[in-house]
Amino acid sequence: MSTATNAILRLEQVCRRFGGVHAVNEVTLSVPAGTITGLIGPNGAGKTTVVNLVMGLLHLSSGRVLLDGADISRAEAPALAQAGVARTFQNIRLVPHATVLDNILAGYHRHETAGFWANLLGLPSARAEAAAHESKAVALLERFDMPMLAEHRAGGLSYGHQRRIEIMRALAMNPRVLLLDEPVAGMNDAEAASLGQIFRDVAAEGVAVLLIEHNMRFVTSVCSYLYALSSGRLIAEGAPDAVLKDAGVVQAYLGT
Amino acid sequence: MIRLFATYQSVFDQILIYSLLAMSQYVVLRAGTFSVGSAAFAAIGGYTTAILSTRSGWHPALAIACGVVLGGVVSAIMAFPLSRLRGVFQAVATMALVQVVVTIALNWEDVTRGALGINGIPKVATTGWLVLIVAFVVALLHVLGRFSIGRAMDVIREDETVAVSLGMSVAHYQRIAMILSGLLAGLAGGLQACNSYTIKPEDFGFTLLVNGLAMAVLGGRTSVWGALVGAAVLTTLPELFRVFADYRNVVQGALLMVIIIYLPNGIADTLFGLAHDRRVRRLVTGLEPRAAAVSDSGAGSEVTR
Repeated sequence: MSTATNAILRLEQVCRRFGGVHAVNEVTLSVPAGTITGLIGPNGAGKTTVVNLVMGLLHLSSGRVLLDGADISRAEAPALAQAGVARTFQNIRLVPHATVLDNILAGYHRHETAGFWANLLGLPSARAEAAAHESKAVALLERFDMPMLAEHRAGGLSYGHQRRIEIMRALAMNPRVLLLDEPVAGMNDAEAASLGQIFRDVAAEGVAVLLIEHNMRFVTSVCSYLYALSSGRLIAEGAPDAVLKDAGVVQAYLGT
Repeated sequence: MIRLFATYQSVFDQILIYSLLAMSQYVVLRAGTFSVGSAAFAAIGGYTTAILSTRSGWHPALAIACGVVLGGVVSAIMAFPLSRLRGVFQAVATMALVQVVVTIALNWEDVTRGALGINGIPKVATTGWLVLIVAFVVALLHVLGRFSIGRAMDVIREDETVAVSLGMSVAHYQRIAMILSGLLAGLAGGLQACNSYTIKPEDFGFTLLVNGLAMAVLGGRTSVWGALVGAAVLTTLPELFRVFADYRNVVQGALLMVIIIYLPNGIADTLFGLAHDRRVRRLVTGLEPRAAAVSDSGAGSEVTR
């Protein structure tokens, strides 16, 4: 099973307090490369806070976060993104008036090497780089069955399409760690299944994927290991089927 | 006839100069920085040009270049405190800068000649030069907006959390925007001085601040063309509304309100948006067989319900 040795991302005794509230309380978990690790829990359990802590958008009250064994607890979000940590958001956050293509291209930021002057003057190096990223973005759009929407404005598209654009933007980063915050919320089973296949493919390429999700059928179909969070504390971990049968998890979800 | 042309020519010159000021405002708004410091940087550029070309006897082109650089330096310094502020607080801080600069221009009489201003500046900024300079700047900003920097600015303006999660340094891009803004406003001020023979402190006060902001917002904040359109509209309106005599400002203000209410994205952005949507519709209609095939084969169509 997952151990600290092959884990790309590891949280150790991570705590985050907001005033007197322990939003995340002594959480220890590992996200190994090549598999999808699930994180479930009722609303308000602290799942999104975990993502924000890993991404450097919130600072830890105590504990540490390790990326490939290196302590990244104090790193800021841009540095982590540059190091290959990507995320999607629970509420869709795109540039609504920009085209689908431009939204995805923003994900290539960490791979951009053309300098300021090349960009300002439109030098060949900047143009070549832009063209290369654009063809990669078009390939992503084809993988997601959306090639005909490239020039549409993102804000005018349906919820399901906007979700996919967010996922494509994260994949464009070519991440080493991918944090997915409820990626299939509001999708039907067929749509979820096609996304699930994409996530499995991404993980198979050697990416460490942490999936937060309420759709249990989806979680059991893609995750190889599962953590359950309730009121900021880990209450169960292990194989998905076992965790979902755990009495504490059932109680947390259904109440007594 | 010649006199008529001369009248229009001065309006045309003014449009070109103001369009630089509007671009200075556009570039910070695009990067999500609510700076209204353009009037201050224009004053710095204008006064530097005027002082160096009259009293020190420098060549006007060199004097303008110095004004541009000084505008850029002051805006670069201003970018540091601004990166710690957001939204309306940035506006207040830069408004204070405008007040400070205008007050200095009024009271440092030995250098600026106070309220009388500086006269006899060589008129070298002719229409031909202005057209060339504005065309160059538009081309530069247009290219800048198309690649990585423009895209990063769009994401930062829309959502800073997303921007940092994609690896973008908010402070870095906002500093670039502020420096560009200072350079462009400095250029506008220097050209203004070399186009109108004379400058005085009141040219650069609150009215110029509001005009620059109105031009950028009215024209459209997401493309460089918005600044051009905004400058053209706001500079010609007062000429067109001369018939209303004393009520000119009332009519103009009312018209601006109507435009802002019904075209909140600005004139150029709205027009470009419509043109874009029409092009996409035509593209999709042209692709109909392919689009239908994709819908049949996968989940693509189901989410559009």
